[in-house]
Amino acid sequence: MPRELALLDALVPALILAFAGGLALSWLLDQVFTISGLYRHIWYRALFRLGLFICLVCSLGLMIY
Amino acid sequence: MAAALFMRNRRWRYTLLGVWRDWLRDDGQTLIYVVKVLLACLLAMWISLRFELEQPRTALLTVMIVMQARTSMVLAKSYYRFWGTIVGILASLVLVGLFAQERILFLGYLAVWIGLCTAGSMVFRHHQSYAFVLAGYTICIVGLPATLNPGQTFDIAMTRFSEIMVGLASASLVSAIVFPQGVGDLLRNAVRKRYRDFSGLLRSLNREKLAGPATQAATLRMVGDVFELESFHASSGMESDYSRAYRQRLNLLNAEFMAATTSFHALEQLLRRLYMGGHPHVVDALLVLFSPIQSAVVLHQREIRNEQEARHAALTIKALRDRWPLHVNEVQSSLPESLTATEQLDFATGAELVQRVLEELHAYTNTYAGLNEPGARLPSTSIQTPRLGMHFDPLAALLAGIRGALVLTVMAGIWILFDWRSGIEAITIGMITSTLFASTPSPSKTVRHFIIGALIGTALLYICNFQLLPQAQGFLMLALAVTPAIALAAWLTTYPSVAVVGTGIFLIFLSHIGFNQVFSANPVTFLNDAMADLMAIMIAGLFYNLIDLTNSHWSRTRVARAMRELVQDACLQALPLQRAHLETQARELLLRMGAARRAADAKDKEVVDWLLSTLEIGHAVLVLRAQLATVDDTALRGRIEQSLSHIARLFGKPSSRLRHAAIQSITRSIDQLQASEAQAQLPQSSYRELLTMLHFIRGALLDSDSVLSLSAPLSQPPLTTQELSHA
Repeated sequence: MPRELALLDALVPALILAFAGGLALSWLLDQVFTISGLYRHIWYRALFRLGLFICLVCSLGLMIY
Repeated sequence: MAAALFMRNRRWRYTLLGVWRDWLRDDGQTLIYVVKVLLACLLAMWISLRFELEQPRTALLTVMIVMQARTSMVLAKSYYRFWGTIVGILASLVLVGLFAQERILFLGYLAVWIGLCTAGSMVFRHHQSYAFVLAGYTICIVGLPATLNPGQTFDIAMTRFSEIMVGLASASLVSAIVFPQGVGDLLRNAVRKRYRDFSGLLRSLNREKLAGPATQAATLRMVGDVFELESFHASSGMESDYSRAYRQRLNLLNAEFMAATTSFHALEQLLRRLYMGGHPHVVDALLVLFSPIQSAVVLHQREIRNEQEARHAALTIKALRDRWPLHVNEVQSSLPESLTATEQLDFATGAELVQRVLEELHAYTNTYAGLNEPGARLPSTSIQTPRLGMHFDPLAALLAGIRGALVLTVMAGIWILFDWRSGIEAITIGMITSTLFASTPSPSKTVRHFIIGALIGTALLYICNFQLLPQAQGFLMLALAVTPAIALAAWLTTYPSVAVVGTGIFLIFLSHIGFNQVFSANPVTFLNDAMADLMAIMIAGLFYNLIDLTNSHWSRTRVARAMRELVQDACLQALPLQRAHLETQARELLLRMGAARRAADAKDKEVVDWLLSTLEIGHAVLVLRAQLATVDDTALRGRIEQSLSHIARLFGKPSSRLRHAAIQSITRSIDQLQASEAQAQLPQSSYRELLTMLHFIRGALLDSDSVLSLSAPLSQPPLTTQELSHA
């Protein structure tokens, strides 16, 4: 996988894709957790969301490189 | 001895605990906020330096702009800032692409764009308004530097975009992670306080109050409350804790609150008029009729404080509703026999209004009581809950746009003519000043505060740039050097009265802070820029004074006319009419003028009177027309419609002649309605409503204290109602 992608002729770091993908995934998981009521068992939601997001982006990034 | 010492210790501990709690509630919150701002700023600065972005100060500026005490408000503001930035960047790319060679054309189109943004910020409220400000501001920080070297436009745009995103991300992250604060308690407190205020208003109605001068303070505060609540709950959309049903209930609550205050005001006006010129027994009877409502909103000798207590009140009110006809009969039978027909009509009108207050209070209390129940269903009558719409004066928005464009033209003219070194800085600050404050209640005062802030900011900047930064080694020292000014600005912004001073400080301080990737301050540039900033702010302030949209006679006249047009619409427009529309539109007109925050001003009193009069008569007209649709008798209907068109003409262009004509026309309608064949045909309830509403409108038009008397005085002393009933 190349480090930079040409998006409409503008070079974009591939990590941006991981970032966007992580955002989408974590939003999706967020919805699932809200509906399933998992958040009721979590002490600090914002921190949990951030952690989840970081994990997702990192794993996507590791997949690319 | 030991026991006494122990007691004393305990007392000490309680005192200390109390002090600690107070501190935590007031100063503690402020301190937490300042720490959060600092953290977010340092995080943004560290990331920008780490990523080697060109201007870390843009990220810092972004953080300061979007930072607020409540998490969801930061998120909401960031969201709109994001869109404002995107639009601004796209616009600047287009502008540079089209006009990079031709500076006059470029600046001309830039002026048009700024005008559009300023006008947009006047049209919308809250954060949306803010997005327009940012679209204008972004074009200055991207488009202007890009014209100077068009080859790098795209790079500049991308760097600014990245910096702004870093700022937004840091601000959102810090406010969501470090001591997050939802708007939930804010909303709850606002709702509770409003109910308390309203029940206080209900309870304050008595003979003494009718004798005293009319007060507007309570009404004004409530006008402001309606929109404040909306701003809280607009940003609560960013918090996932609140369900859609909850927000719908809040909308409903807002509409019901407005309806109840209007009805109550109408009742109060009627009582005041009767107190001046009616039969004293009628006033007393109406007050007796009203008194159970006053005691229904009280629980254990005090006002309702929360939703549980409201449930009790709702039950009491429901019981009162069930036995209402009995209560009315009881009071009516206590009236002396000797009353004339008109005086009996006075009582019937009053009773109708009291009943309406009761119905609306019932709806309001029920919604309030059910606000926090997750399972509570919305009442079936309100499937589409009313929303506050957009109501604005197109001419005012246009003028604001022209003002913004003019400021830019003047600044750009100076820039080009004198080959001004700091032209870009001056234009940027000038644009911020002329768009950011366009929608504040009194821009010229805001600009004065802003100048004070700018001066303080410049002084701090000098110390920072030339005393602290040259000695700073490494990130930690850099952070220490910028901390004092940021903390001071953040601290000031927590106090509403000096918030703009804080804004001035951080805008100026961060716009020229002396480091990019390396230390880059020199005294000559610094002095040039500082003078340019002050000049820009002054020019923007000058234009605020030249085109003053909030405080002049002109704007007051326009708002009053717009309110009268609402009454005209109510009289003439095709059915179905929406009451909520009238209520919100009239209030928003007042709010946009900013009068709600300057209640003491005598000149604004006239506009507020127009608001109250508009609501009072407009609402009566709506009720009348709703009933009129059920009338089959064409002659009677034609007569009443003629009266309505008379009212519309009077409100279109108030004059004594039209006022008399309207009064006479209504009197004729009442006479025809009272004629026996009409009375027999109509159902009892609609007959009563038609009669009482006509009588109410006539009473309002006859009132010599009404705001109509300013432009349309009753030329002779007003006819007494007895004379009229024989007219």
